[in-house]
Amino acid sequence: MKHLHLLLTASICVGCATEPVPVDPPEPRLRRLTQDQYRNVVADLFGADVVVPPNLEPDLTVDGFAAIGAALGSISARGVEQYEEAAYSVAGQALGSEADPAALVPCTPSGAVDSACAEAFLGDLAFRAWRRPVSAEELGRLVAVTEQAGESLGDFYEGVQFGVAAILQSPNFLFREELGEDDPDNPGGRRFTSWEMASRMSFLLWNTGPDAELLAAAEAGDLVTDDGLAAQADRMMADPRARRGIRAFFTELYKLQRLDDLEKDPTVFVHMGDDVGAAAREETLLNVEALVFDEDADFREFITSDRTFVNPKLASIYNIRSPVREGFGEATLDADDGRRGFLGQLSFLALNSHPINSSATLRGKFVRETLLCQSIPDPPADVDTSIPEPSGNAPTLRDRVADHLSVDACAGCHEIMDPIGLGFENFDALGRWRTTQGGAVIDPSGVLDGVAFDNAWQLADVVAEHEKFGSCIARSLFRFGVGHLEEPGERPSVAALGADLEASGFRIHDLVLSLVTSPVFRQTAEVTPRTPRLFFGDDS
Amino acid sequence: MSRFKLNRRTLLRGALGGGVVTLGLPPFEAFFNSTGTAYADGSLLPRRFGLFWWGNGMLPDFWVPTETGEDYTLSPLLEPLESMRQRLTVVTGTKVNVPNIVPHFSGSAGLLTGMPEIQIGDDYTFAGPTIDVVLGQALGGQSRFRRIEFGAAAKEGLSFNGPHSRNPPETDPAALFRRIFVEGFVAPGDEPVFDPKLALRRSVLDAVVEDARRLRDVVSKTDSIRLEQHMEGVRELERSIARLEEDPPDLAACSVPPEPDVEYPDVDGRPQLSAKNRVMCDTIAMALACDQTRVFSNFFSYPVNNTLFPNAPDGHHNLTHDEPGDQPEVFAITRQCMEEFAYQLQALENVAEGDGTLLDSCAVLGASEISLGRIHSLEEFPILIGGSCGGRLKEGLHYRSETQESSSKVVLSLLRAMGLPLGSWGEGDAFVDEGLSAIEV
Repeated sequence: MKHLHLLLTASICVGCATEPVPVDPPEPRLRRLTQDQYRNVVADLFGADVVVPPNLEPDLTVDGFAAIGAALGSISARGVEQYEEAAYSVAGQALGSEADPAALVPCTPSGAVDSACAEAFLGDLAFRAWRRPVSAEELGRLVAVTEQAGESLGDFYEGVQFGVAAILQSPNFLFREELGEDDPDNPGGRRFTSWEMASRMSFLLWNTGPDAELLAAAEAGDLVTDDGLAAQADRMMADPRARRGIRAFFTELYKLQRLDDLEKDPTVFVHMGDDVGAAAREETLLNVEALVFDEDADFREFITSDRTFVNPKLASIYNIRSPVREGFGEATLDADDGRRGFLGQLSFLALNSHPINSSATLRGKFVRETLLCQSIPDPPADVDTSIPEPSGNAPTLRDRVADHLSVDACAGCHEIMDPIGLGFENFDALGRWRTTQGGAVIDPSGVLDGVAFDNAWQLADVVAEHEKFGSCIARSLFRFGVGHLEEPGERPSVAALGADLEASGFRIHDLVLSLVTSPVFRQTAEVTPRTPRLFFGDDS
Repeated sequence: MSRFKLNRRTLLRGALGGGVVTLGLPPFEAFFNSTGTAYADGSLLPRRFGLFWWGNGMLPDFWVPTETGEDYTLSPLLEPLESMRQRLTVVTGTKVNVPNIVPHFSGSAGLLTGMPEIQIGDDYTFAGPTIDVVLGQALGGQSRFRRIEFGAAAKEGLSFNGPHSRNPPETDPAALFRRIFVEGFVAPGDEPVFDPKLALRRSVLDAVVEDARRLRDVVSKTDSIRLEQHMEGVRELERSIARLEEDPPDLAACSVPPEPDVEYPDVDGRPQLSAKNRVMCDTIAMALACDQTRVFSNFFSYPVNNTLFPNAPDGHHNLTHDEPGDQPEVFAITRQCMEEFAYQLQALENVAEGDGTLLDSCAVLGASEISLGRIHSLEEFPILIGGSCGGRLKEGLHYRSETQESSSKVVLSLLRAMGLPLGSWGEGDAFVDEGLSAIEV
């Protein structure tokens, strides 16, 4: 396939076109599975019909990413209860009286207790669930609880549910153990093992654990070689599951999960309902998928494209003709519609607004921080941040926020946010088009880092052409992929990823491949284990 | 009997820039046999602690009562508490003594941990455990759950074990009910059904602890702390399962409360906060009466919430900043929050126990993370206390601090009233080594 060939070329060129950048990686951290990852792995192991209870330990979002919080948070006592409930629920659905346990268990049990059969089933399941070989001691524990339960309950399949529940509650399952090994190609350095690379790749690319082929490649040691990694990465990006991984990244990056709790006053916005937030998220993610997978396009089109995907609800909010009666269809926007690209979508416009009023500050802040990776300090805690009510003298938001921009203490930050946000003032707090406010015509013109724009349609070009746009996506994908902020010893590699992205013509596909094959994704530092503990009560 | 001895020494750990924060507390059992009213069978009534939190502060001009002492008139914002006036102490004029760095966050960290927040990476988190966790670790070992967190619009809540270690609250009334009164619950007088699965579940958890122990010894120091927190949760679950295997305690006040509705759909785009809060307050009152827990946190609404309250023309947080003049809409929302706090106290008052009511044994702290929302002020901090904690705290009082004392003094008084023999509370400017004697008996 032509497409595949291009990818291979691109990933090979990553290694050869630029000088390798030295990496000084930080100590590896355990990462807890996110809620979505837990659900995805359970579906892989037991089938998509198995229903995981709705409440699991919540994801912890730190520095904008649940992927980073996953490397910092622990599991609360309540979370332990929830994981237990989920484990027995899953085990019961897979192996209970209503299920077909013989479909999962590869052997026919000889009675309520059959250690060999339990060992065969649980050994394979634990291997896949824990994403690595299982030690005899670990397997022994699983078989022991299964035997105890089989004997106590008088039924093999009842008993084996307790072994399954032990696998699913184990920290070997809930946390990703990626501790590295000495790197023979880099004396004194450490690299992630072939098994660990399988997890790193599959959770990044697919948002779930490795499949059988990836585990086989891990076992063969392929995932510590450049060619082995590139071959698996190509295969994985061509797999439909990669759409799930990329969706997860952009959902976190743009905080699209917050669309579930979209607060808009339905007495002001007649379109508002429970379905609006989910539809907006789907619109944005369909655009991502089309550009990344179906077209392998320049990702700047995400900001500038006049093509989008809407359902009838979104079409009515955007005041365009719906291309479909139900579901989503492709629609083309034009300058008269006023909107294009992500910054014309409800998911950006509504999420970065208040329940009733739009916010130039929130919208400008999002462009600066999330699209251009520029940081803006929080406002001082003890200042009055209120802006004047609309009045005859100040009918538009531009008039009202003039204060921000004239008071020195505020202007330092607000003048880098508000002028951008005011460019979107033709869109109300939900994202509907408007041309006037309080009887006055809205002026959406402004300047972003020296480049002038007349309205949001033009502003899209300014953002997409901004020098930080590409490097910001690269930095964000790095953070999402490794689960921490870049350390000084990693920054040159992250900058190189950004340069690679630009050189590839802003192909996200190539960026993903650059990242997983980059030393910054493959190397780590030695763990300094804890010192002997002074206090641990009864648990020594 | 549980096969695990519980730690007598309570350790609260958290990662602090790779280091370890350890808070050691001495054993407290001795304190519970000295005073207190008794159950019918002669055993002593426990003390209980509750936290009621609402977000976005209040309006000091309408909050502070004019008179002080016992003979005072409730202020316009506190009027909804009229029916509970005799069970309430209002503390005004104190200040949360931490640097006001992160709006809405510094105040909650300062009041609940006695410390400023800390920064890790680009983000902020609490530096140590919140008071509900301190109390749960010290006192909660005798009930089925050490603590229970919930709230109609709790979001992530504010219960922390340490940095980046939150205790997620339950926001769904039906799920809260199920957790306490359905799964394994045996009402007093009912015959416990022998369930072999309880013992098997504990065996599985033993295996989980073994796995965690292996992992703990090969990971970094910071990660070993995270795994210990996980293991603590696993042991906690084992203990609570062991409690279910015992005969239910014979508690006269205990009965199963009405089951909540499954759903509380929005009305006019506004969540049904009041209905959800009230049914959860009823559920938690019985959880105390049935000794399922002794410490609860009700995060009714969360800091910075932009919730559309009934009849409000904008989100709560927006209104605190943007509503002009005397902010009548903020006033109305704050009154709604006080109505819900009143219900929280009433729900406890409604349950007869011993010679009085459940509220007699409780100290319920009502607070927000700021006073005046418009400027995120930490002065003139809103503090309300319901119940006498078994006769250890005064009631029916408005105490006004004329010298802007630290809010930490109130917290220290509460912790001591609960039986923790603490010499001090807080760190840095928030450090205090004396309580607020005016509210103590």
